[in-house]
Parts: sequence; C-alpha cells; structure tokens
Amino acid sequence: MSAQEWLAIGPLLAVFALAMLAVVLDIARPGRDRLVTGVMVVGLLGAIALTGYTAWYFGGGEVEVFGGAYVRDALTSFLDLLFLSIALLTILFSPDYLHPRRLPMAEYASTLMFAISGAMLLGAARDLLVLFLALELLVLPGYMLAGYAKRDGLSTEGAIKYFLLGSFSSAIFLFGLALVWGFAGSTRIPEVAAVLTSLDGAVSLTPALTMGLALLTAGVAFKIAAVPFHYWTPDAYQGSPTPVTGYLSVGPKVAAFALILRLFVDALAPLKADWVPFIVVLAALTMTLGNLVALTQDNIKRMLAYSSIAHTGYILVGLAAYAAAPPGSDTERAGLEALLFYSAAYSFMNLGAFAVVTALQKRTGVTSQITTFAGLGRRAPLLGALMFLFLLSLTGIPPLAGFWAKAYVIIAAVQVDSPWLIGLAVLTVLNAAAAAFYYLRIAVVMYMGEPSEQTAPVQVGRLVSAGLVLSAVATILIGLVPGPVIAFAQEAARALL
Amino acid sequence: MSQSLDAYLVLASLLFCIGTFGFLARRNAIAMLMSIELMINAVNLVIVAFGAFTPELADRASVIALIVMAVAAAEATVGLAIVIAIYRNRRTPLVDEYHSMRE
Repeated sequence: MSAQEWLAIGPLLAVFALAMLAVVLDIARPGRDRLVTGVMVVGLLGAIALTGYTAWYFGGGEVEVFGGAYVRDALTSFLDLLFLSIALLTILFSPDYLHPRRLPMAEYASTLMFAISGAMLLGAARDLLVLFLALELLVLPGYMLAGYAKRDGLSTEGAIKYFLLGSFSSAIFLFGLALVWGFAGSTRIPEVAAVLTSLDGAVSLTPALTMGLALLTAGVAFKIAAVPFHYWTPDAYQGSPTPVTGYLSVGPKVAAFALILRLFVDALAPLKADWVPFIVVLAALTMTLGNLVALTQDNIKRMLAYSSIAHTGYILVGLAAYAAAPPGSDTERAGLEALLFYSAAYSFMNLGAFAVVTALQKRTGVTSQITTFAGLGRRAPLLGALMFLFLLSLTGIPPLAGFWAKAYVIIAAVQVDSPWLIGLAVLTVLNAAAAAFYYLRIAVVMYMGEPSEQTAPVQVGRLVSAGLVLSAVATILIGLVPGPVIAFAQEAARALL
Repeated sequence: MSQSLDAYLVLASLLFCIGTFGFLARRNAIAMLMSIELMINAVNLVIVAFGAFTPELADRASVIALIVMAVAAAEATVGLAIVIAIYRNRRTPLVDEYHSMRE
C-alpha cells in the first residue's frame, strides 16, 4: 500500500487503535477510569485533526483503497468528522453518569470506539459486502452499549428489544443485498451502478430486483427508525443508560443515512424514480407520528426518542427531494446537501439536549420524568439556559442550527417541481410547528415549575461542562455562520453524484 | 441437484419466510434468535446458489457465505449474552413479560 492509501484510512485506523488501547489500558492499569477518559479524549482530538489534515491533503479528489472497497472522498471526510465529534461528545458526557453507578469506563470506551469505527467504515464503503460488515460493526456494539447497565432491568429490556428487532432487520437487509448482488453480478458499488444504468429503464424492474429493493428499503428503514419500522426505538432509548441514549439517537441514525447515501444514492441511483413514493410516504408518516406521540410523553428520554423519529422524517424529506429531482440537476444535489447539513446540525443539538439530561442524572436516583426539570431555570441557571438553547434549536428557531437545517430541507423539497414534494414541504412546516408544543413544554416546566422540596443542588462536572460548551458553540455557530458547513456538505454531495 | 436457479431461490425465500414467521409468532427470546439464524441461513443459500449458477460469481460466493456465517456467529454471541443478562433480572425468556416501560 502506498503512503497515500495509508493516509486515506488513517482516521479509521486511529479509532481502531483507540478501541484496542482502551482494553490494553484496562489490563495494565485496572479501574483507572479517568486515565482512560483522558486518553480517549486526546486520541479523538488527534483523530479529528488527522481527518481534517486528510481532507485538506486530498482536497476534492478521491483515493480508493483495498481495490476500491474503501474510498476517501469529501463525503467520507464529512462523515468521519461528524462521527468523531459524536464520539468525543459522548465520551465527555459519560463518566459522570457511569462512575456513580459503578459501571466500568474502559469497556464502555472500547465498545463505543468499535461502534464509531463501524460508522466511519460505513461512510466510506464502496462494496456491498463491506457495507454489510460495517453495518454489523456499527450495530453489534450498539446492542452491548444499550444493555451496559446489566443489573438494571430497564437497560437489559431495552437492549433485548433493540437486539431482536435490529438483527431481524439486518437479516432482511442482507437478503435484499444478496438479491441485488446476484442480479448485478458484482459487489462493487460502481459496477452495480453500471449494470443498472445499462438497463436504462428498458427492463426497469425484474421481480427479483423489486424484491431486493423492497427488502433493502425495509432493512434501512428499521435502522433509521422510520415509521412503521420504529417500534424498538422508544424502549431502547428509554432503557439505555442516558449517555448511550444520546449516542444511539445520533450515531447509528446518521450512520444509517450514510448507508443510504452509499447504497441507494451511489449504487441504486438508476432506480431512484421508482423509489420516490415510498420515501415520500415514509417521510410523511415518520415525522407526523413521531411528533404526535412525542406530545403525550412524560418521560424526557422517551419524548426525545419520539422527537428523534420526527427528525428522521425531516431528514428523509431531503432524500425525497433528491430522489424526485431529475438526474444530474442542481435540485438533486440540493436534496443531498440538505440531508448532510441536517445530520450535522441535528447531531450537535440532540447530543446537547441529552447531555443536560445526563448532567442532571449524575446523582443516582434522579429519574427521567419531565418533572425533574422543574425549576431548573432557577436551581441551575446556566444548565437551564443551555437546555433552552438546545430545545429552541430542535424546534427550529432562527438563528440556531436547527432553523437552517429545516430551512434547507424545505427549500430543497420546494425546488423540485412535484406535487408530492410540495405537499411534503407543507407537512414539514406544520410538523415543525406542532413540535414546538412539546419542546417548549420542557422550557415551561424549567422556568415556571416549582422544584420539589428534596431536590439537591445540581453539580456539573468539568468534562460534561466542556462537552456542553462544545455542543452549544456548535449549535450557535452552525446557526450564525452556516457557510463553511454548507460548503463542506456541497463538496460531499458533489463527490457522490 | 436441480438445474434451475429459480428453484433454489424459491426454496431460500420459503426458508426466509419460515424464519420471519417464527420471529413474529414465537414469544421466547431464544426461539426468536433461532428464527433470525434461519433467515440468515436462507440468505446464505441464495448467495451459494448464485455462485453455483453464475460463473462470474463462483469464486466470490463462498467467501461471502463464509463471512456472513462469521457475522451471524458474532450476532448470536451478543444476542445470547443479552438474553442471559435479562434472564438474570427477570427469570423468564418470554418477551411478552418484558413490559416495564410504558407503551
């Protein structure tokens, strides 16, 4: 392998090395949680710097490694940076939750790093088999993390539901993959795309290919938690340890969208016109049902779980805009840009919201009921203000990140000259308005509610504060100066088309 | 050995459907895990059948089938570990009994 190829896979190798290092550290110096946390934070910062350097070094070009199974282009770099930031923030929030509950940090960090390496591989795969392997590398550690508090009935209950439905969907996805592979005669994504393009709509959909496409769509819909494939989400999110819930709500979700970009946009693009009605219906159902059920929730983790389902719906609008736009047009690219930008904005604001919940649960015994937020605005003004900021961003209030994310998705949908997409854009606006009710309900509880008498003062650790500041700065900066992120997303979308 | 690829694909689809039915109908976590294994094995049959009937896929099919088996084994390991963990908490493998979180 040439030096260039080593550099291209550098970030991925760095995360693998970190995962191993966490285990080795735990063997050499057992129980030194702070040491492990420190090493992980430094290592992840290094990996982020390395990814940044790699992205700058290769510019807009692309490098193929392992005979074309792995590709480093602008999309890979965009997703790598996003996944590494998610990992960094999750690591910053976790010790304050794990330590009081006597959960070991080293195994947690190692499992998380393996999951992140799977996500990074998923964003770079150009081979159907590598895509499947990366998907499994992403989800298997995810099941373990969900059940990490193994003596806690809720955690294991969430884990088993996540596991059973997750592996069920993996099997469905794999069956679709095998059919597409047998039809196209190659696992390489460019070759699959070439075979499908050569059909040129003449033999548009054979039964086997239709079935393959349907199974792939169902499998992926499970992974992104789109309605009606979302049943595992609320229980998995509510049961998991809170920092894990934060990770699960962004990491696997964005990674599943990376899978969609590599599989459906890269390989199956010639079939995209047949796919539009499904995505439109899926997006409409997902955001509407997610928001409606979120309105009735009293548990904050469960509420944010349904809210994350609604956000999946918004991201799917970007995908629908891509699929409905004529091939090779600017609108086609706008849809993908909106999808990528939304993923980035959503990751930071949603992780931030979960970080506040984690910070409150530093003391064991604090539940996830919304009432625990009562009077937070007075008990801990700064924490309350940060939560308010994340909630405003999730609602989509300008000038925060969430506003631009929704705006881009809606603009991308309106630009496509199709009644389906116009309808979807209108529905998105209505949904965003409905979502304000339950987001701002928390704000009302925070600022108007009376704290119960035995509430102890909230203490926020240094690491959590750093993570909170990072998420808040990202949420504000992406909102005030969206330019650089948009430029990066544009470059990433261009790499794909 | 049948000379028709379709016959094998139909057989594999049937196996896959039996697995899907088992997953949806059985309420025992272990039985559900076994149903998932059945689905994955059906996929392996598809892969091997494609390899046997399509010359250009012949050399790759067995490699892919082996990798899929390895992944299935890893998945079963994680799954059984989670089942054991929840069995210790709840003393039952029946998923219907796992309902401590609100619907």
